[in-house]
Formats: sequence, structure tokens, C-alpha cells
Amino acid sequence: MTTHATGSIPAIRSLKPLTDTSTPYISVESVRKVYHTADGDIEAVSKVDFDINSGDFVSILGPSGCGKSTLMMMMGGLETISSGRIVIGGEPVTAPRGDLGYVFQDPTLLPWNTVLENVLFPIRLRDGSTRKYHDRAQELLELVGLWEFRNKRPRQLSGGMRQRVAICRGLINDPALLLMDEPFSALDAISRDDMNAALADIWDRFHKTAIFITHSIREAVFLSDRILVMSRRPSTVCYDIRVDFPRPRRMEMQETLEFNELCGLLRKKIEEGYKVS
Amino acid sequence: MTQSQMIQPAGSSAMTVATPPVGWKLDPALRAIILPAVTAAGLIALWEAAVPLLGIPHVLLPPPSAIAVRLVQLFFPLILQHAIPTILESLIAFVISSILGVVLAGVLSSSKIVREALYPNVVFFQLIPKIALAPLFIVWFGIGSESRIAFSIFISFFPVVVATLAGLDNVDRELLRLCKALRASEWQVFRDVRIPFAIPYMFSGMKIATTFSIIGIIVGEFVTSQAGLGYLILFASAQAETELIFAAITVLCIFGLVFYGLVAMAESYLRKKLGS
Ligand SMILES: Nc1ncnc2c1ncn2[C@@H]1O[C@H](COP(=O)(O)OP(=O)(O)OP(=O)(O)O)[C@@H](O)[C@H]1O
Ligand SMILES: [Mg+2]
Repeated sequence: MTTHATGSIPAIRSLKPLTDTSTPYISVESVRKVYHTADGDIEAVSKVDFDINSGDFVSILGPSGCGKSTLMMMMGGLETISSGRIVIGGEPVTAPRGDLGYVFQDPTLLPWNTVLENVLFPIRLRDGSTRKYHDRAQELLELVGLWEFRNKRPRQLSGGMRQRVAICRGLINDPALLLMDEPFSALDAISRDDMNAALADIWDRFHKTAIFITHSIREAVFLSDRILVMSRRPSTVCYDIRVDFPRPRRMEMQETLEFNELCGLLRKKIEEGYKVS
Repeated sequence: MTQSQMIQPAGSSAMTVATPPVGWKLDPALRAIILPAVTAAGLIALWEAAVPLLGIPHVLLPPPSAIAVRLVQLFFPLILQHAIPTILESLIAFVISSILGVVLAGVLSSSKIVREALYPNVVFFQLIPKIALAPLFIVWFGIGSESRIAFSIFISFFPVVVATLAGLDNVDRELLRLCKALRASEWQVFRDVRIPFAIPYMFSGMKIATTFSIIGIIVGEFVTSQAGLGYLILFASAQAETELIFAAITVLCIFGLVFYGLVAMAESYLRKKLGS
């Protein structure tokens, strides 16, 4: 593996291969979340248990309101955990970690900053100076085809372009774990296919750990190494399957029988999870 | 694919239908300037015509032409000499109340305790009919320009506080969540997110403050006058010099307009620079 000229900043193409998988990178242990609201308590997550190995792209599927976002927020340290615990890289999560990347449903870009400034925003907050990360920002923006838009403001971009900027921002600090909460749900079907292809492409080079929340079964099957299905509230993980399609993933894969069979199976599992409650 | 091709021609035909009828093909930006200007010119012409037609004495209401003549006759040195202190004092009061307003809004938004303790009182203070307090400022600050500037600040800083505070508070919750995820400090959130977000709000408060700061100075001049356009207006009214009153008011209007325009220009410059 060659390293980039900048030295300390790892280049995207030179990341190390998957690390040891004997101890899980993330373990979610009997996690429960209750929101205390004015109209009483809401049990958003009942009891969730799973482990995730380093390097896996894991999708979480489940009906609306079953607590997927809540679970992700707890993993990111953005919500408190009511009981149980989440351990990432050997440390229980209590507050936001510095080695995570986030992509939310909404791109949440700073409207007054340019595309490049937005991508570098996490670095500006962390280090003050962003100079050392310009090369990496360029590499990421080129990967998603937005380098020539680097000096544009978010409002001059389409929704899909904005979400790509948000993905670059999520990856700028070379996170060990990327958390994505329905990043493409606001996009139309065609942009969504484009984004899936772009993300699969990014993933082939980046190859870290990712949690990806989605409502789209096809999207989950296309992108993931593993898929967790959550049941409706009281929510738990009701199905867990590995997806062993070869990488790099290509759009044509979606026409194969295996792909569609897996989608059908998952649909059935989601329906079962829906009836559970 | 075929669907998007089918949508194309429908969309373009809708565009041609939407074209306004011939005769109103004026650029909307140009129209926004020309339409009110023509209306104003029409009203002034009406005024000009109405005075002789209805036989209104010039002491009650001089026609615009007479006001213009008097303005030119007396501009140098009389009107100018009185305009300068009014303009300077208004500008000083505006700058101080803008700074004070923004700083106070910053303090109120960053400290919950200060806010709970102070803000209701600030709001309550505003319920006082402030003009009635003008004489008090003379008691406190004497009859110099300090008392007028202090009074002007007193009435013009509040809109800046309210507007800026609204901006600092209304920041997108999602952006705040992102900042939290990125472990930004309170100060970083303030500097990188709240302040840029609040800039348009701040300017809307400052635009109101331009008018208020002029009102403050004029009222101050009414109360303790030795110089200034407010003094000139009082003086002219004592002499029944209605044309001079209107001439002074004209100068005030032009100043107010230019002042507001400068603030609006500063805003659009800053917004363009910040791209918001
Ligand atoms: N801050 C909150 N306060 C109170 N209740 C909340 C809060 N956030 C979420 N909830 C409730 O918790 C439950 C799970 O919400 P969550 O957003 O995690 O679901 P989700 O699976 O992400 O749904 P979707 O697929 O629609 O995004 C919902 O019933 C929701 O109303
Ligand atoms: Mg959600």
C-alpha cells in the first residue's frame, strides 16, 4: 500500500484491508430507549442486540417509527441510552466520538459556505485550519463528480448534489464508522439510483464500517454486506442476514434472480415484523 | 426515460403561455423601481396643482415648487449648517445602538440565566412610552449632543436586539445536531452557525434602527435645541415659515432614504459575500 505525499493524512485509495474480526467492532447490548414526553413515555427502542464487524456495510430496514433513527443517534452519542449499552472500538458510547462520520436525511449544509468549505467544515471545527485536508477534499469531491462545483453555494445545487456534498463531508475526517440515516429518501428514483451507484463506488475504495438506514429494500440489498430488519414497536431486530454478492457492485446486479429473491425474502420478513406487534 | 421526454414539451409550452401580455414586458426589477417612482411623481404633481386650484394659503401648505425654491435658496449655509449635526448625531446613535443591540442579543442568546433575568425586563422597558422620557435625558446628560445621542440610542437599540436574537435562536435544529455530532464548542456554534444565520435578521433590525435613530435625534432637538434640523423646524414654525419647515423635512427624508439605502447595500454586499 502506497501512502499519499501528504503523509499523515491517509489517502482514500490506500486504506488498510479489513482488520481482525474476532472481536466485534460495535456491540449493541440490550439497548432500550424511552422518550419522556408531555403525553407520557414512548418506548422507541425496546431491546436491541447485535454486533457489527469492522469493515461491514450494514443496512437497517424497518417500518416507519420503529426507532431506527433513535438507534443511530444513540450509536453516535447524540441521544442518551435508557438502558443497556453500546460499545464502539472497545469504548462505551457516552458522547459524540471524533472518529465518526454522519450523513443525515437532510443534507444540512451551511448555506453561506461553499461546497468546499462545507466538506471541510468538520476539520475547521476540529483543527481550526483546513489546509492539510484540501487534497482529500478534492479527492472526495472528484469521486462524486462535484469538484468543479467546489465554489458554488448549496442552493445552486440539486438535491442529489447536496447529498453528495454531505457524504463527502461525512468522509472528510477519515471516520472509522460512517452513520447514514436515510440519506437518499428525499431524492427521486433516478437520482437515487445514481446515488446508490456513487455510494457503492465510494465504498469500494473507502471500505470502512457503515451503518445505513433506509426504507428501500433494493437499496439495502444493493449496498450492504449485511442487513438487519427491525420490527414495529416495541422494536427489536427481528431478522439478520448476510449479503454475499461480489464487489464491486454493479447496477446490472439488480436484474439477477438472486437479487430479486433476496428482496422478496426481505419484504416478507419486514411484513412479519410488522405483524409481530 | 420516456416519461421525462414527454414532460419536456408540456413544460416548454406552459412557459410560452405564462409570458405576460405585450405592453407589460418590463423587467420586474426595473418595474419595482419605476412603478413607485411614477406614483410618487404623480402625487407630487397633484399636490402642486391642488394648492392654487383650491386656493390653499402657502402658510398652510406650500406647493412642492415653492419648497424646492426655498430649499435651494437656504440650503447654503443655513439648512446645511443645521443638517450636519443632525446627520452626525444620528449616525453615531445608529452605530452605537447597532453594536449595543448585537452584543446584547449575543449575551442573551448565549446565557440562559442572563436571558431569563434580563429579557423580560428589556421587553417591559419597551412598553414605556419612550418619547416621554426625552426630558429625563437632559436632566441626566445635560443639554449637549450627549443627551440627544443617548436618547436616540435608547429608542433605537431595541429593534436590533429583538431581530438579532430571533436570528440567533431560529437556527435550524438539524444544523445544531450536526454541530453536536462534530463536537463543536458553544463558541464555535456561535461563530460558525448562529452568527451567519442571524445576519439577515440583524440587518432587518438595523434598518428599523436607521429610522428610529433619526427620530431620537429630532425629538432630542425639539426638546433642547440650539442647532439641528429639529431645531430649524421648531424655529421655522415659530416664524410661520412653512416652506422652510418642508425644506428641512425634505432634507431629513433624503437623509433617511440614503441612510437606509446604505444599510441595505451593506447587507446585500455581505450576503453576496456570504452567499446566503
Ligand atoms: N425526540 C423525541 N421525543 C419523543 N419521541 C420521539 C423523539 N424522537 C423520536 N420519537 C419517537 O420515537 C419513535 C421512533 O422514532 P424514530 O425517529 O427513531 O423512528 P424511525 O424508525 O427513524 O422512523 P422513520 O423511518 O420514519 O424515520 C417514534 O414513535 C417517534 O415518535
Ligand atoms: Mg428516521
